Amino acid sequence: MFDIMTVFESFVEILKVVPKTLLLALIILVLSFMLGAAITYIQSLGIPVVKQIIGVLQSFLRGTPNVVLLYLVYYALPLVSAWFLGLFNVTLDPSSLNSTAIVIVTFSICYSVFQSEIIRGALHSLDKNQIEAAQSLGYSTTQTLRKVIIPQVMVEALPDTMNAFLIIIKALSLAFLVTVVDIFAQARLVGAQSFSYLEAFVAAALVYWGICVILTYAIDKLENRMRRGYA
Amino acid sequence: MDIQYMIEIFPRFLLVIPITILIVVLSAIFGLMLSIPVAAIRIRKIPVLSQMMGAYISFTRSTPILLQLFLFFFGLPVLLQLIGFDIMKIDAITAAVACLIVFNGAYMSEVLRPAYLAIEKGQHEAAESLGYTPFQKMKTVIIPQMAPIALPGLGNAIIHLIHDSSLVFAIGVVDIMGMATIMSGDTFGMKQVEVFLTVALIYWGISMISEQLIRLLERRKKKVLKNTGYKLKEEEAGYSV
Repeated sequence: MFDIMTVFESFVEILKVVPKTLLLALIILVLSFMLGAAITYIQSLGIPVVKQIIGVLQSFLRGTPNVVLLYLVYYALPLVSAWFLGLFNVTLDPSSLNSTAIVIVTFSICYSVFQSEIIRGALHSLDKNQIEAAQSLGYSTTQTLRKVIIPQVMVEALPDTMNAFLIIIKALSLAFLVTVVDIFAQARLVGAQSFSYLEAFVAAALVYWGICVILTYAIDKLENRMRRGYA
Repeated sequence: MDIQYMIEIFPRFLLVIPITILIVVLSAIFGLMLSIPVAAIRIRKIPVLSQMMGAYISFTRSTPILLQLFLFFFGLPVLLQLIGFDIMKIDAITAAVACLIVFNGAYMSEVLRPAYLAIEKGQHEAAESLGYTPFQKMKTVIIPQMAPIALPGLGNAIIHLIHDSSLVFAIGVVDIMGMATIMSGDTFGMKQVEVFLTVALIYWGISMISEQLIRLLERRKKKVLKNTGYKLKEEEAGYSV
């Protein structure tokens, strides 16, 4: 009924897609971080209507599950982009959009909201006097950002950002719905080949568990090291 | 965009909302019940059991909920056969609820544990010196103080649970998402955007309502505590939640 050898074989098969999954997650993390930073910046400006729109958007993104958003973007994005490009007389075949691109877009948008919260929290933890001190020393805005704000905010935001990275790796398991092959999708494929779904899923669970344990350990080490400079 | 069609299909979703609510409520209640012994074992640091619970929490946290659903769906019958029950296949809803209970047991225990540890030792000692039995102590001293600390975390757990419950369609439960996938097949792939936009709006509504309910509960709890002269930790620290 349950065969350990099959688990091992599936494990080896699944390991092949781990680099791809990690790369996808990294791209999404970086994009969502940049989007999140943009959201934080726009919110800090406090432009009346824009602020409310972003508020509603945040509430919507937080209130709907990732699956629903993934399907929504999967079906809507080709149409929207074709319509948008049509305005510039560029014709785009809606079915030509790559599903990997759709996954990246969806999750980047989803997690940008969470990233903006993380960035805002980290900025709040920064002492205002630090900026004043930098200004009194005659630092320019770029210099203040580069030498004073970013090094400190980065340490503050690192644990949560890395946590987001783990969450993204797990959320990527939904990508199988739009035919992108990550760890979970690979487990389904491997399981389907030999009709041994349970073994394949156990192997996938072990892979995920291993990734999380290793990454958590590495992050702890990194954080301790970065904090040492400011202790 | 066909708003007319969205309004037309909305009642069909209303029929399956009870299934989502049933799954969420069952897993929330039994998950909380499961989380209490798990948290207790971790707090007391009972030798072997504590490590086992640590591994259990780490496992549920580091694997995607989708994978856990499939593990339960395929694994539970095998497990039951080992104990002696002869079941070839289990109901998808049963597997989904069992999985979400196990998941939430771990999640909520990690909310309850810090909340319990945040209570000062003096409170325990004072209650004991007054001759309270352990049960009385928990009921009248510890739990009322734990509640305001744990409620936001438990509220978050419920919102997460609502979102996670949208994945149960993957193992064949016809909930809101399951209905949506059926419907998007009905229209020969013409009106999928409308279907999933409706689903997104429904989930948004459910999340907002439950968020408001949790807020209401938190506010009431705080009011009760204020009347009894209890100072909240964050008020002492000088900021409000």
